[in-house]
Amino acid sequence: MTHRNVLPLSLFALTLAAGCAGPQITKAAKFPLMYEEKPRTILVLPPINSTTAADAKGYYATTVSSPLAFSGYYVFPIEVTDDILKSQGLYDTEMIGDQPLNRFGQFFGADAVLFTHIRKWNKSYMVISSTLTVSVDAKLKSTKTNRILWEYSGTIVADLSGNSSGGGIGGVIAGAIVTAINSATADYVPYARLANVQMLQSMPVGGYHPKSGQDGDEKILEHGR
Amino acid sequence: MRLLCPLFLAAVLLSGCVSKPIDYYYGNYEKTYYHSKKDGTPSSIAKYKDSLEDIIKTSGEKGLRVPPGIYCEYGYLLSKQGSPDADRYFNLEVTTYPESARFVALVRSQLKQGQP
Repeated sequence: MTHRNVLPLSLFALTLAAGCAGPQITKAAKFPLMYEEKPRTILVLPPINSTTAADAKGYYATTVSSPLAFSGYYVFPIEVTDDILKSQGLYDTEMIGDQPLNRFGQFFGADAVLFTHIRKWNKSYMVISSTLTVSVDAKLKSTKTNRILWEYSGTIVADLSGNSSGGGIGGVIAGAIVTAINSATADYVPYARLANVQMLQSMPVGGYHPKSGQDGDEKILEHGR
Repeated sequence: MRLLCPLFLAAVLLSGCVSKPIDYYYGNYEKTYYHSKKDGTPSSIAKYKDSLEDIIKTSGEKGLRVPPGIYCEYGYLLSKQGSPDADRYFNLEVTTYPESARFVALVRSQLKQGQP
């Protein structure tokens, strides 16, 4: 990760910290089926993209698997699964809808399937600030029972500018340059990844995590974020 | 090095509400994968391949388990490039993550059929 400025990440850190506030519930109370079914392997389906940003689908797919791995799950490699799904005519997640998911268990060995829906992916460029707003819904469904094991809905706003680092007109100009640099597409990847990290905070950890099966008492926000 | 500071801060803050993370090394995976998809040029694919090799090598040096799917993904890329080494990496995926056995068998059979 090569970043020229530090502020966006600091702001992100604040956003993440803010995630700890609000009405709370334990993981076990909110997602009891995760503890009952104990999925180990997750197949990430290509995201459903209802935004006008054609790129969002690509960005999101790149960034979802490593946070899931850090949460202790075996995640099938996106590059390979995408090709196989295409060859099976399953690449359009919209088409899968509410169909039974047992074939993903049979063919892939997936205990659960992750559906993600990108609802908003807005870049706003301004002289003073530049932000990226990402709204995502996610559902983890069992391939054995078709039940929803975990779900999430949230919005993340990332400040891409970092112009507050300097004062006066010099600072504004410097900020505008930083904004231009940060608006280069590649820089969205770490933001999307951080968004996923935040999203997965509420997910009980999987079999490869040292706390697997023991995080039921951890508090999470009652109403997503 | 300036970027380490906010990353560290984010990690510290995150640790307040999340349990300790697992240690995996991903190097430049996300960035290079994204560019290999988006640009599709030989040089972007070569960088993506390099990043997979770097993950495997560096994880070994650090005594970390290679992240899920990486051996398989590398084997898949080798196979598409006609390298005879692909099988070795498919086997490594299954040894490292036994739950991937069915998936790796599926990948192998698809590659044999000439699809995807």
